[in-house]
Amino acid sequence: MEQKVEISFKIDGKEVKVPEGATILEAARQHGIHIPTLCHHPDLSPYGGCRLCVVEVDGGPKLAASCVTPVRNGMEVATNNERILEARRTILEFLFAERNHYCMFCAQSGDCELQNLAYEFQMDHLTVPVLGQEFPVDTSHEDIVIDHNRCVLCGRCVRACRELAGNAVLDFQNRGGRTMIGVDLSQNLGESSCVSCGLCIQVCPTGAIFNRHRTHYAVKGKVKDWQMVESFCPECGLLCPSIYYVKANNLIKIDGRLPSDMPDRGQLCRKGRFEPLKTSKPRLTRPLERDGDGGWRELTWEEAFARVIKGLADVREAYGGQALMGLISSGCSSEELGAFRYLMVKGWQAGYLDTLDGGHFRTLIAATEGVGSNFKEAPWGAITEADLVLQIGADTSKSHPIIGALIRRAILENKAKTAVMGTENTLGEWAGEFLEVSQEDLPSLLQALLIEAGRRSKGKPSKDFYRRWASKAFTGLVNLFNQADNPIVIVGQDLTGRPDPSGLQLAFDLADLKGRLPGGVWRLVVLKPAGNSAGAWNLGLAARQGLNGHKPVKGGLLCLAAEDDLEPGLKERLSGLEFLAVLTPYFTDELRAAKILIPKPIWLETGGTYALADGSGSRFVKRILEPPQGIRPVEQILAAIGPRD
Amino acid sequence: MGKPKVATVWLEGCSGCHMSFLDLDENLLGILEAVDLTFTPITDFKDYEFPELDLGIVEGAVANEEQVEIIHKLREKCKFLMAWGDCAVFGGINMLRNPFQVEELLRRGYVETESVVGGVLPAHEDLPALLPKVLAVNEVVTVDIYVPGCPPSPDSIAYALKEVVAGRTPQLPAGMLHFD
Repeated sequence: MEQKVEISFKIDGKEVKVPEGATILEAARQHGIHIPTLCHHPDLSPYGGCRLCVVEVDGGPKLAASCVTPVRNGMEVATNNERILEARRTILEFLFAERNHYCMFCAQSGDCELQNLAYEFQMDHLTVPVLGQEFPVDTSHEDIVIDHNRCVLCGRCVRACRELAGNAVLDFQNRGGRTMIGVDLSQNLGESSCVSCGLCIQVCPTGAIFNRHRTHYAVKGKVKDWQMVESFCPECGLLCPSIYYVKANNLIKIDGRLPSDMPDRGQLCRKGRFEPLKTSKPRLTRPLERDGDGGWRELTWEEAFARVIKGLADVREAYGGQALMGLISSGCSSEELGAFRYLMVKGWQAGYLDTLDGGHFRTLIAATEGVGSNFKEAPWGAITEADLVLQIGADTSKSHPIIGALIRRAILENKAKTAVMGTENTLGEWAGEFLEVSQEDLPSLLQALLIEAGRRSKGKPSKDFYRRWASKAFTGLVNLFNQADNPIVIVGQDLTGRPDPSGLQLAFDLADLKGRLPGGVWRLVVLKPAGNSAGAWNLGLAARQGLNGHKPVKGGLLCLAAEDDLEPGLKERLSGLEFLAVLTPYFTDELRAAKILIPKPIWLETGGTYALADGSGSRFVKRILEPPQGIRPVEQILAAIGPRD
Repeated sequence: MGKPKVATVWLEGCSGCHMSFLDLDENLLGILEAVDLTFTPITDFKDYEFPELDLGIVEGAVANEEQVEIIHKLREKCKFLMAWGDCAVFGGINMLRNPFQVEELLRRGYVETESVVGGVLPAHEDLPALLPKVLAVNEVVTVDIYVPGCPPSPDSIAYALKEVVAGRTPQLPAGMLHFD
């Protein structure tokens, strides 16, 4: 039985009690006593590197770093006598003099913890000369820049990359005065195993590691004038809590919310942290109509609405409602999806309604036919508890980088094994086994694995099996699977994107070989193609049958969330329509099939409800920005293109 | 004492600190009544032969040999020396040139520039030589009062001056101390 032992000691003459194991710093903070820190971060393990938190213990000759010194019964701690203050001032001056800490040309000025300490200590000059060493600036990475001259060697980036991101790309290299933060084994960041999660940027107290995008940004102004919005990122269905900083309707930066008790530990991925800052794609700001020469002509909003209504009405009149179609991206919010369905079904009585990722829905439904509505996916946290993670037909590094982070954490902390089956080994060196297999051959591999792994009888595998699959990697995979007690199977687009559900079914059977998680939850994570796929499918927007099975469609409305990819087959089908109007945020000439293009806001300008992809609920994503001038809200657009009868 | 005698100089600076001083606008009148402002680069003076001063003020870092001379001349003549701005206090933006050799810099600036043909390195006995490294003022002479900023706000300059006139060593309050 654990007993909570309480330690009592004196701090600045005050008698206090704290639980055993607490550090002096924790005790001080619990009792409102301020001790300055720099390398310390509440969400990372303590390091004791900067020594700014030094305190005097029992009047001893050496000052102790309070962030790493545990409390002891009867100890007497002083936190701010003259000796301590002098030591801290000297340490701070040395930090400034050691490298290049010139605030006047640093973009971090105003948002820098080193600078704040100088202000707190009222350090208005240096009494030691600046050392003048030059360190490199690493600009090799697409999103993250490291200026080693501004580094204070606090090690927060090292700890964050290992403890929160589970990637361990950064660590100290060299010694003494030449110590610096190294990347992998002395690589440049751009050539390293960095996955661009950006946690290092978020935890770096100075301007040493900074965001390549929008750090040197004219509209930034002072940090105190930024607006801070707490919301969620709707890019992939994990809905990671995020903080958006906005100034004058410009997005300045995006942080993850620390501390966090979510399995991702508060990190973001490059889709959530960097992509929204990188958009310089031209937005569609005026409605357009395709003119006879294959170009586009601008329309007023009222003209555009009128022509959409006429186009849809003409098709309905000629062929009936059966010939009308509504297609919408599952990247849209649930509110948009609902309004769209109302417009097309109740309004236009369209015969066909589907999402762009409807194919994945249909395959999933077919595969879970036997299971029915009791199919419950594993929550993502289960990945970090697994002892074996199978990544099948998925590219987590591209589509769901946080899942990739959870897999790496499982390996680092749980000693989990991993195996990747697919066209590319996207887990890289983290994968225990990798079986390269095309999308077409994947079901066959799964079949072989099922037979081998589930084999109870002593029967021998067929000759065909030996010819196709016998290899060291396969045997390794079978062994891994057999030895695992707590595996999690992650399936992706290579399986859900096939119209034939048998491949997906095999993955389900494989997952079930080891039984279920508590509550009948399957050992399965099914990656969804879009940010609100679960929401769209739950709202019934995905059709039970593909568009090719619904021949009579002659015209309709397509609603995009961003630059959604349209499959070539779909594009062709759309080209054959008599009338197509597209609601889209971006102009792309690819939309040649359309007669009318209507601009619409992106998710940053709309917000809305998005469903968690594992079926565990939903989150409300806030509206962060105003749309560019002239672009009307989605509800207004949809309300304006209903039938006029 | 009677009205304290004050002089200012600028060395390797952009004059922004003096502009900030001028940004005191009508409050300048009060200051000019409280001190006897002798030489400043804003008014027209022809040499650096200062009288005995109570307060010397310097903006800008020490980057060439002439500036070494000037700052020594000022330091000799003033009871207290005040440094305005990050250049005088820390070396400032000028420190960007410290990783490079002087010859490299001059070559890049006069010979290898994109728009120059047949450039030559400037060399004349009247041109002051660049020091190998830009120095903060307190690396050359003793400085008594520091007012960092880039530029320091007019309020912080006014505060520092008022404290000195009142006979106290200024300690910039929170909010007035900034390095940008």
